[in-house]
Amino acid sequence: MTPAKTWRLWLVGLILGLWGLQVLWLIWYFGPEARDLARRAARGNVGAAIRQAEPLYRWATALQAVIPEHATYVFLDDYAAGKEIEVRYYLAPRRHILLSPEIPASFLFYALHQEHAAFLLIREAQKPPGPGVQAAMHSPAFHRVNLPGPGLIFRVDADLLRWGFYD
Amino acid sequence: MIEAGITLLRLLLGLGALFFLGYAWLTLLIPRPRDFSGLERAAFSFGAGVLVLTLWMLALTLGGVPFGLEWILGPPLALAAALLLAPRGRRAVREDWRACQVRPRIAFNGWDWLFLGLLGIVFLYALPRAALYPIWAWDAVATWGCKARIFYASRGLDLTCIDAHNYYPNLIPLLLSYLYFALGQVNDSLAKVIFPLWGALLLGLLYSLAARLGLSRRSALGLTAFLALNGAVFIVHLYIAYADLPLAFFTLGGAGLIYLWLAGAAPRGSLTLSACCLAGMAWCKYEGPPLAATLILAAALTLAWLRPARWVRRLGQLSVPLAGLVAGYLPWRLFAMQQKIEIGADHIQGFYPHQMVQAIYYLLAGLAEPYYFGFLWPALALALILAGNRLWRSPRLFLALFVGGNLLAIILAYAVAPTGAAEFPAYVRATLDRLLLHLTPVAALLLALGLKDVDSALANRNLPGNHPLPVSKAEP
Repeated sequence: MTPAKTWRLWLVGLILGLWGLQVLWLIWYFGPEARDLARRAARGNVGAAIRQAEPLYRWATALQAVIPEHATYVFLDDYAAGKEIEVRYYLAPRRHILLSPEIPASFLFYALHQEHAAFLLIREAQKPPGPGVQAAMHSPAFHRVNLPGPGLIFRVDADLLRWGFYD
Repeated sequence: MIEAGITLLRLLLGLGALFFLGYAWLTLLIPRPRDFSGLERAAFSFGAGVLVLTLWMLALTLGGVPFGLEWILGPPLALAAALLLAPRGRRAVREDWRACQVRPRIAFNGWDWLFLGLLGIVFLYALPRAALYPIWAWDAVATWGCKARIFYASRGLDLTCIDAHNYYPNLIPLLLSYLYFALGQVNDSLAKVIFPLWGALLLGLLYSLAARLGLSRRSALGLTAFLALNGAVFIVHLYIAYADLPLAFFTLGGAGLIYLWLAGAAPRGSLTLSACCLAGMAWCKYEGPPLAATLILAAALTLAWLRPARWVRRLGQLSVPLAGLVAGYLPWRLFAMQQKIEIGADHIQGFYPHQMVQAIYYLLAGLAEPYYFGFLWPALALALILAGNRLWRSPRLFLALFVGGNLLAIILAYAVAPTGAAEFPAYVRATLDRLLLHLTPVAALLLALGLKDVDSALANRNLPGNHPLPVSKAEP
């Protein structure tokens, strides 16, 4: 064998050695998830049961009974939190409009009226309400729906909403 | 227990219908399916089946026919049965039936078992991880899975209730919603088994293509395991329900077949089948059409550079994969225009040179990052250096042009991405691994050509268990 070929085989050996280390790293990296998988599979805690552990899922499931499939709802949340997409997923095919929790009353009321939204959802009930939510709480167009869960729900009578004077 | 068994049976029947449909189309698209290996036939059958069925679902929506299993499956299956009853279909089935009865015994050696064992471990983890956990990853929840739920509930391709990149192509959401119809319910954990299945078919395809390039079984299996167990990205995509793995599958199929055609080692009908793969790329993801176009461009440039016999005529033959790209792109584009869906408004607003500089750094770091694809890309760089002049004088130039061109395209895409300076690193982190995933199986194929040189060196040493596979055809 020529020196050039020997050199190539050494390089292949080096790559294979590094790959071996990589395989060991993968076993270490996926180890915790694999253990979780085995534990859940052994207990039968899989599929939809995994979601049942999430308060947000239970809340959204309860909302499915409240919000009709053809209805539109406005959801107040920060997109980056990643929870809004989950709620949208659980409540599909209901029409979903995301707005910021800090939205001013004028824009919130305008959006609700314009989009014919029948419900207003606020994901975090514990957080101090923004100006739009504060206004909603004192408006006759909003009726609180008592449903246990992390968020607030209002039934909206969009016909009662007028805009142009909230600011 | 009985209910679970029935659900599983429904899933298997739903998946089986896809293979059946695709297999029937193969008999139409290629003169003799048995020119392709069993793994290739399985992979292309699934790819073609998924493509045909989801495009049919789009046609149903255009025709105003609400989704239901009888309409989704009835006409395509009737057509598939007719294709298989035609002389060409009957011959293909007869040949496959005969081959099933006479199966040669394969003697695996120690290395083969090691690589097979490693691949087995990957799927022993990924399959239950996909099937037992609900959809949870961001894009799966926000886009693919959400649309699938909506299509199932509204019994059509209805995007009026969400605003989730509505202009994205819908192969994956429609496929998931088809599986929901097959299951009779929205079961987003069970439907996810298509992703490890797709990953297994991708690996099978890579193995088979590597064997065609002339690699021994041991090297081809080693290469396949090298792709699957290098970095975490490939494994994670086996169960997170993103469209990137299917796009990588179609890209590998298209690139592999066009390469074989350029090298004069392609079975008959490869170009037609590559058209099918390019259609899948275009219908699978927003990045698909440009990726497919670069395959054709790289092939054209390779022909123009190498100037093989009848190269002008062969340039004209590239219209076949081009037709596939158009067939995969146009139906959705026309539908989007008809429905007044805004296309790609969140892209390209300007060119940002500082982002381009950063993108070069991030891309190079990403290629060398062990978390992404381990040592695959550094190994490829090494193989390309060692290839020397052969890179410019053989059809492997096509694969190099495709991979290199798309790495440049990634840099350019980041240079025009409309993000703030503070957001940019996070934006790259969230997207780079997926963009590289589209190319990595093709990079592995290019690496196979480098391995072939090593195989030759090993063969000179007469090491045991290093015999070329029967299907292999040498690169001219």
